[in-house]
Formats: sequence, structure tokens, C-alpha cells
Amino acid sequence: MRLAYYPGCVAQESGKELDLATRWVCRKLGIELVEFPNFSCCGSGFIDEANSVLNVALNARNLAIAEKAGLDLLTVCSTCQGMLTLANRRLEEPAVKTKVDGALGQIGVSYHGGTSVRHLLQVLTESIGPEAIRRQVRRPLTGLKVGAFYGCHLLRPAAEMRSESAEDPHSFEDLIAALGATPVMYRGRVMCCGFPILFVKEETANRIAGHQIEDAKAHGAHAMATPCPLCHISLDSFQNLAERAVGRDLDMPIFHLPQLVGLALGATAEELGLPRHLVSTDSALQRIGEVAVPT
Amino acid sequence: MEAGLVKAPIEVYRFDPTHDRAPRYDRFELELAPHTPVLTALLKIRADSDPSLTMRYSCRSSICGSCAMVINSKSRLACQTPIGPELERHGRIVIDPMRNMPVLRDLVVEMGGFWGNYRKLEPHLIDNPERPMPEGRPSSMSPEEVERFKETPRCIACGACYSACPAVEHDAAFPGPMSLAKLYRFVVDPRDGGQRERLLKIQPGGLWLCLRCHLCTEACPKDVRPSERIRDLKEMAIALQGATEHGSKHAVAFKENIRERGVLNEFKLVRQTYNPIEMLGQVPQGLKIRRKKPEITQTPKPIEGLAEVEKLYEILDDEPEATK
Repeated sequence: MRLAYYPGCVAQESGKELDLATRWVCRKLGIELVEFPNFSCCGSGFIDEANSVLNVALNARNLAIAEKAGLDLLTVCSTCQGMLTLANRRLEEPAVKTKVDGALGQIGVSYHGGTSVRHLLQVLTESIGPEAIRRQVRRPLTGLKVGAFYGCHLLRPAAEMRSESAEDPHSFEDLIAALGATPVMYRGRVMCCGFPILFVKEETANRIAGHQIEDAKAHGAHAMATPCPLCHISLDSFQNLAERAVGRDLDMPIFHLPQLVGLALGATAEELGLPRHLVSTDSALQRIGEVAVPT
Repeated sequence: MEAGLVKAPIEVYRFDPTHDRAPRYDRFELELAPHTPVLTALLKIRADSDPSLTMRYSCRSSICGSCAMVINSKSRLACQTPIGPELERHGRIVIDPMRNMPVLRDLVVEMGGFWGNYRKLEPHLIDNPERPMPEGRPSSMSPEEVERFKETPRCIACGACYSACPAVEHDAAFPGPMSLAKLYRFVVDPRDGGQRERLLKIQPGGLWLCLRCHLCTEACPKDVRPSERIRDLKEMAIALQGATEHGSKHAVAFKENIRERGVLNEFKLVRQTYNPIEMLGQVPQGLKIRRKKPEITQTPKPIEGLAEVEKLYEILDDEPEATK
């Protein structure tokens, strides 16, 4: 399988461990990542708020790059997935399409709507399938209870994302089970991580993140996993502030989706960039016998 | 069991704050046709088993907006939710009162906060001197003008979006999805004279606390799509008065940030959003993150083809009318 790899900004910068883990897992599963150094940022929902037509045009340019190469786009971020898919949908509106096509024409780009945008979670669970992944597991994550945290834009608005049930998704849990771990069901798994207002009202954003982690913990999760690096920022990089906001210790290791997969397929913690997390993943690694329990 | 019926285990939240120390769930086992609405099931429970079960309802046709409640974790209308798919998916039906509003009794909640936020936004037409109401006949609109309302006139004020909203749950300063969708409806109404004032007031009035999680859009029984109208309000507010709040400053800063390199310059974005004093407050956490993730203060390489991105900005962002 060949896909146009759209890493998004965070995975190329402060969330580099997501890129490391993605490359490791894709190499292992025979997914060829074709790189395009001319991809621009998806706008992260913020450009959409400031200038929605510009946002569609920037993403149409990205989609056109993949279309020209005859490849589907692979994202590793729920927000990139949401924004690029939104561009495809908004281009179905004639007024938007006329404006965007006019602008793209002036830079010699044309986009015909042919690029499918696929998140790594969808490629792993729909194209490869949990069963095929289960057969490749070298280190089953037995005994580890994992709460999936989907990230809003992978699921909603459902009418635009048109993927699995937005209300009651199960692909991530199916994958977690295929890795040998036990998926934990909790209300927060389809809720918001607070990231969009981290720069608007930090305390509220931290409280929302803390609330979701508490929910996962109350349902028995030893760790959480997310297909979105922005959720990872909220849940991991700011977990100390989330703890302060909800007034209790959380100590919840947060895995990026391909880190969890990589771990089961035999990658080392270093290969997956686990030491880069703000919250240590050791307690989770101890449960699968990867790290010795401190005496 | 009669042919065509299914066993329907239903667990209903019960709480009377004047008598009960804590809420409880009462379990009822009914036999019903799969297409039976949850509301009909509740009415049957009340008729056959427990006349004290308290809830709001009226039309049973998704018009009055009275019977919103939380059914299997999702805020929605009981009259519009058939039991069959719920039982298939969850094996049972758990019914709770709406969230984000205090419980008065059982499934009835106190909606004063919801209505108060709505009233604060002056949900009525304000005279527009440029388009006075004609004497003796209704004020008419062109089909294009009506089109601008999008789906907002369909709202039945049931409260499902308010119940589903995490911003409402965690921050009292957020007016809620329904209020903002209704506000949008007046902002785009050509007969309304308050467009400017409405937008000026709403920027500092909680608009930017929307998390764009779209849970309201999924909860809405009338497909009003509040999250998308909130997004429209944000863009209109910025177009009118520029960035005045952290939220709008961040959105505009993000847009400018990407123009420079095509990818995000993370550290610069923080500096663009916060003033120097606020920046100081960010230093301890920033240093903590940088110890593990040194890239956070590094400047990324510009993308190839940056000139194309720049041109798109020139065409679509530098011309103010192009964004309208």
C-alpha cells in the first residue's frame, strides 16, 4: 500500500515521537509513505475561524498534490483528518468551489475532488484489519487496560466525516483488543480534550482534559491512547495542569495510536519516542513486562 | 411474548430532592415493538407501574421540544428515539435527565440558566432604520436572504445541545450552542438593525469558549448544526472588529503564522497570542515541555512551494471582500 504521508505540523515538531512511531509501524506493516515537502498546514480549525475560504483553498492545494501523484492521503492527526475532509465537503458547495478554483488557477493548481483522506486508524482497522495486525503481534499487551480517546474531528460532524458511528465508534477498541490489551469503555472517549481553548482559557481547557482522564481512570484504564497529537498535548504535555485543575493526581500515560501498535509489534520504547512524553509511560510498560517493576 | 415484540429493559433515573438522599435507577422490563419511541415506553411505565415518574412532554412529534433527555449517554428527544436500535446497540436503555441543568425531579430539569443565556442575547428583531418594517403588511425577504439563515429557524429550543455541550459543562461564561445559533439567526437577518452590536457584544461574551467539538450538532434533533453557525459568528466577528479576545487573537495569529513558512512555528504562535506579561506566565510550563521536546522553541524549515501559499493568501485574505 502506498499513501501520501501528511504528518501535520505537530508530528514534525514538538510531537516528533508520533512521526517516529508512524514510520516504524508503517515500515513493519508494509505501508509505503510517500513524502511531499510542499504540503502546508491544515489550519488546525483556527484558520477556518479566521477565513474559511482561505482554509478550504490551502487544503485543496494539499489535496491536489496527492491527487496529482495518484495517491490517497494518510493523516496521523484527528484535526488534520477533519480539516482536509472538511475541504473536500465544502468544495461540494458551488459558491465555495468557484472561489477556490479561481484562486488555485492563479497558482497553476487544479483539484478535481479525487483525493480520499484517510487517518492511520482507518487504514489500520479498515484496510489492514485487526486480525492481520493480531497475527503480527510480537509482544501482546496482555493485562494493560487502555482507554481509547478518539479526538473530535475524526468523528464529527458525522455528516461530513462519514466514517464509523460518531456516537458509538468501536474501531479503536477493536484495534486495542487485537494488540492483546483490554479496551476500556467510558463516556469521555468521544469527548473533547480541551485543546481548542488552551489559548483562550487555559484553566477551563485543563479542567476538561483532567475530567476525561479521570473518567478513563474511574473505568479502570491504566493508560490512554489517542490518534490525535493535539489531544496528546492536552492530555500529556499539560497533564500536570489538568491535575491541578481537577485537584487530584492522575498519573495517566498517554500513548499516540502508532506507539501502542508499535509496542505490540515489537518496537522499543526509544524507537517509539516514549521517553519524550511528559508523563512517564513506565507504569504501562511494567504491566506488559517491558520495564522491571521498581523494588 | 407477542410476535414482533422485543424485551426492553429500561433503567430510569429517579430523584426527588425533597425526599431522596441520592438518585437511584428504577428498572422496568417491558415488551414493546422495536419502533416504539422511548417517550411512549416511559408513558407506559407511568400508566402501568409508577404514576409518580416525572417528565416533561407534550406533542410527541418532535415539534414542542419538551421531552429532551439523556438516552444511553446521548442528549436527544425521547419522542424521536425508537427503542429498537438502542437495544441492538446497548442491550438496554438507560434514561437520565439532561446534563448541565439541576434536576428538579426525575427527568425534569431546571432550565433557567439555558433560557437566561438566551434572553441575554436579545432574541428579537431590533429596528433597522435602513430597512423599516412596512406599514400594514409583512416585511418580506428575498429567497437569497432567507437562504442565509441556513438551518437555524428549525430550532425548537429543546436544550439537547446545551445538555451535550462540554463548554457549558465546564465554563459558566459560555452561553451555549442554542443561544449562539439563535444569535446567528438575528445577525444574518436583513431586517435586524442590531447586527453590529450583537457581534461586538458576543466576542467578549463567551463566543470563543466554543470547543468546536460538534457534540451539539450531533445532539440536535432538528439538524440546526449550531457548531457550524458558531464558527460563522467567529469569522463575522473578526471581519467586523478584528481580534479582540484571546480566541480571535489566536485564530488570526495562527493564520498569519502559517503564511510565513507554510507550517506552524509553535513558539512564535504563543508569542503572537499572549502579551508579554501573559508570556511570562507561560514560561514554567514551556520550560517543562521543552526539556522533553526541544523542537518547541525551534523554528521550522519553510515548506517547498511557499510562494503558492503566499499567493493564496494574497488572493483570498488580503482582499477584504474576498472573504465575505
